[in-house]
Amino acid sequence: MKSFYKFIRSVKSKIAFWGATVVLSLTSCEKNVTVTVPGAEELIVIEGYIETGENPFLVLSRTLPFFGTINTSTVFQQTIQGAIVTIDDGNIIDTLDQIPGIGVYTTTRITGQELRSYQLRVEVEGKVLTSSTYIPAAIPLDSVWFKVSGTRDSLGFAWAHLTDPDTLGNHYRWFAQRINKYTFGDLIGRVKDSILIAPSGSVFEDKFINGKSFDLGYQRGNFRNSEKEDDLNDEKFFFKKGDTIVIKFCTLDRAHFEFWRTEETQVSSNGNPFASPAPVTGNIDGGLGIWGGYASTFDTIIAK
Amino acid sequence: MIGQRVRILILLSIFFIPSFLYAQKKFTISGYVKEAETGESLLGANVYLKETLKGTVTNAYGFYSVTALEGTYTLVVSYLGFDTREFPILLNKDIPLNVKLASTTFETEEVIISAEKADRNVQSTEMGKEKMEIEKIKALPAFMGEVDVLKTIQLLPGVQSAGEGNSGYYVRGGGPDQNLILLDEANVYNASHLFGFFSVFNADAIQNVTLTKGGMPANYGGRLSSVLDIQMKEGNNQKFGAEGGLGFVSSRLTIEGPIKKDTGSFIISGRRTFIDLFLQKPFIPESSDIQGNKYYFYDLNLKANYRLSDRDRLFLSGYFGRDVFNFRSPDSDFYIKVPWGNATTTLRWNHLFNNRLFMNTSLIYTNYDFEFEGGQEGFSFRLFSGITDYNFKSDFTWLPQVRHTVKFGAQYIFHVFVPSNASAKSGEVEFDLGKVLRQYAHDAAIYINDEFDLSDKWKINGGLRGTFFQQIGPFDRFIRDPIKKTVVDTLHYGSGEKVQTYRNLEPRLTVRYAIRNHSSIKAAYTQNYQYIHLASLSGVSLPTDVWIPSSDQVKPQFATQYALGYFHNLKNNTYETSIELYYKEMKNQIEYEEGFLPENSVNDNVDNNFVFGKGWSYGAEFFIKKAKGKFNGWIGYTLSWTNRKFADINRGLTYSPKYDRRHDVSIVLIYEITKRWTLGATWVYATGNLNTFPERLYVLSNGDVVQDYGEQRNNYRLAPYHRLDFSATLKNKPGKKFQSSWNFSFFNVYNRYNPYVIYFDTEYNEDNISIQAKQISLFPFIPSVTYNFKF
Repeated sequence: MKSFYKFIRSVKSKIAFWGATVVLSLTSCEKNVTVTVPGAEELIVIEGYIETGENPFLVLSRTLPFFGTINTSTVFQQTIQGAIVTIDDGNIIDTLDQIPGIGVYTTTRITGQELRSYQLRVEVEGKVLTSSTYIPAAIPLDSVWFKVSGTRDSLGFAWAHLTDPDTLGNHYRWFAQRINKYTFGDLIGRVKDSILIAPSGSVFEDKFINGKSFDLGYQRGNFRNSEKEDDLNDEKFFFKKGDTIVIKFCTLDRAHFEFWRTEETQVSSNGNPFASPAPVTGNIDGGLGIWGGYASTFDTIIAK
Repeated sequence: MIGQRVRILILLSIFFIPSFLYAQKKFTISGYVKEAETGESLLGANVYLKETLKGTVTNAYGFYSVTALEGTYTLVVSYLGFDTREFPILLNKDIPLNVKLASTTFETEEVIISAEKADRNVQSTEMGKEKMEIEKIKALPAFMGEVDVLKTIQLLPGVQSAGEGNSGYYVRGGGPDQNLILLDEANVYNASHLFGFFSVFNADAIQNVTLTKGGMPANYGGRLSSVLDIQMKEGNNQKFGAEGGLGFVSSRLTIEGPIKKDTGSFIISGRRTFIDLFLQKPFIPESSDIQGNKYYFYDLNLKANYRLSDRDRLFLSGYFGRDVFNFRSPDSDFYIKVPWGNATTTLRWNHLFNNRLFMNTSLIYTNYDFEFEGGQEGFSFRLFSGITDYNFKSDFTWLPQVRHTVKFGAQYIFHVFVPSNASAKSGEVEFDLGKVLRQYAHDAAIYINDEFDLSDKWKINGGLRGTFFQQIGPFDRFIRDPIKKTVVDTLHYGSGEKVQTYRNLEPRLTVRYAIRNHSSIKAAYTQNYQYIHLASLSGVSLPTDVWIPSSDQVKPQFATQYALGYFHNLKNNTYETSIELYYKEMKNQIEYEEGFLPENSVNDNVDNNFVFGKGWSYGAEFFIKKAKGKFNGWIGYTLSWTNRKFADINRGLTYSPKYDRRHDVSIVLIYEITKRWTLGATWVYATGNLNTFPERLYVLSNGDVVQDYGEQRNNYRLAPYHRLDFSATLKNKPGKKFQSSWNFSFFNVYNRYNPYVIYFDTEYNEDNISIQAKQISLFPFIPSVTYNFKF
């Protein structure tokens, strides 16, 4: 089952897209054009996280012009070094250390804890950007399992049982990672997923499920431009019997949830001509991006 | 004694002098004007006395009434496309006179009638009103061979298409929900089929189409920008007949005839697409990708009328239309079903109280609903939205004397709205999307309007409309926490309990000053309120747009319009020209708040997601029309600006909405070469639509590229839209019982790729990511053929 949210989110653009495609494929035409977007200045982007039991880290960068080429080196060059980044966790105010050579900042003196607010302040190039995030109480999954999908014999989704607390205002995010290795093919011996991946529709809130106890299932996510075999053939979106799947299930505050919700809406409407503009809502005062906290719990599924 | 008698005589004569002066009494000539061949009523026929040039026009039911002093006159009855008739009248009593007009067999350049009163556009107080001739509409090039009334009105100045492939339109800078569309007095809420490519109106069933875009008289209300008043044909009450056509997209059949000759008639008209019947078994194999996909639409118009007596006539009409779209994605389990449609039923009673007082009372039922259902892998989601109206209205026309035409009446509508009702389930688990949220409202109006001649030069059309709107329970208002935007409380209203009431007065005034015989200046001032609104999310018009009422959260929209025009006819009324300037201010305009997503409105009131602001538009419309002769048509040019200002959009700064269209040109030509061949051509030009494009981007650690839109809304204008269409119609020999014609339409003759939408696609090329702008154009050169028949 695909996530309820992901489904509703893509609903409107999907009907327009598929419906019009039927007609358009008969008569329309598409071509590349050059567009000159009226001049826009660079803004500063913060991408920072603090998780329970982990040190916070933060990437500071500049926005890129719209029609330039983006690759790993351009992204590196856009990061900003030499900024003063401080986090106030209610006990201490700590200035983060920059990793040499790149605009990434971290510290060992602060570790994320549940039920705590973290204020962020970034001073760079004469500008001050601020933000705040709250790590709520962790809500673990009741159980997790793998289930074969439909009539298939070894492919399926990862499932979990969740009981949502009766109060409104819980937000969740789901990550999954296959930590077993490939046993055949080009990538034999390599771990299937090198990091945790959030599939499309990974965030949801308890607006429709408040207080309910129910099953939820997720497809397997992948990196957007992945060229691995199992992300291109009919194993795309599926887990397989024999996989060992680590599930990281997090709670987050509203602003952090809103960032991922709007980000996933925008990304899923990429390439869809009928989607309305989907702006991404960040929580950075004075800039773009996100400063977000997570309360994380872990589970492992051995798919049989 | 004599003295007393003289005094009595003097007294009596004093009393009698006035009555002697009025001993010249007034009498009335009244009746109905109809087409001789079919018995159809003629709306807008000129009926006047040749000697005084004073008269009236027939109303929607063909009724006229002319009152004058006792005397001898010639009554002239004329209507474009029909032979004018004159009647010598000895007016010494009330004279009932029903007139039948025969259609003109030849169109000639010169229409030789002395004291011709065809300069209606100059003489009347009507401003911004245009009546379309159905026969002319049929001669124009038709997109994919489908004659479309809504597309044709977009060829008039001041009326702009919502975009290629859309049936919605904008009038003088107002949004698509500001246009009232009436079919035989019933409201039509969604006038589109096929994702907006075609309208629901089957031209074979239609008798009259009139568009009013300025100077709206007091008998119309409920929308800010325009009224499109469409009357269905009544049906031939002389003999049976059928007409129809076969085309690529749809085929039509109309059957009409008398219930009782001269007394009653009926008409049934249907249209349906046929492609879907060929896209399934046995033509397509079971395993094919196309299986499970279908699209079709149909329209059915039914009408019957019966004249009960000289004073009473009954009409029963109905329209039923539906679109069904089913899609199943070939590679995943994803399916969607989208049925939507309108149904309207009207029962009307015409009653003549006396020969100067005409009444029409209607009972109307209207329903529009759409449903969306989609699913995948055991998960399904269903969204339902609709509006139902129960409507009573009574309209009176009183013609006490020939200088005054008084209209008054009242209307009451009970609305039931279902703004959106969603349900979802995964396997057996039902998700809690809240109970069905319905909204109920009373909507009432009374009006009075008088068009009168102040003098020979001055004519005034003034009226007042009083409107009342009240939302009532049962209703739940969800109260949101303003910061967290979550619902924290619910206010419950019981059944019939008052939620919010609005009462307003709408003055309407148009003044005409006649300069000479063939020119005039007109000025208009109108105020309108609109109590129901269309909440539209996407840039493309979808049937998923939702109608919502004014409420405790949403105030009625309000507009004030000023218009000034100069009207001039040339060459004995062969050419009509006009220049109209307008300025329109709109308050309480509605938009979804920035960043709104559809799931926000589930378990919440839809109208909690709106922000409000104002708009204003102004412009000039230039129009030249040649209505008579073998070669006719018109040229229209509109120069206009539209602006909006919302505190919560675009940082509160003024911005232009998508449909701010600086230039809009339409050229329409019809040439009847011979009795059998007619050629038609249209050329349109419009400044491009505005879009909001992102300004910059950034990359996240998960590899996603995020587009940032900046704060300026509608920062980019697409390339201009222009297009040339041709048509050619070949009729078989006239005079035969079985008439047929072939219509060849050529759409977008020089194959211009007009931009429909520009979107951005992220392209991955090994380690490099780049954004490419792509433009989709909808329709290239499309030829089509339609075969029409009539007998």
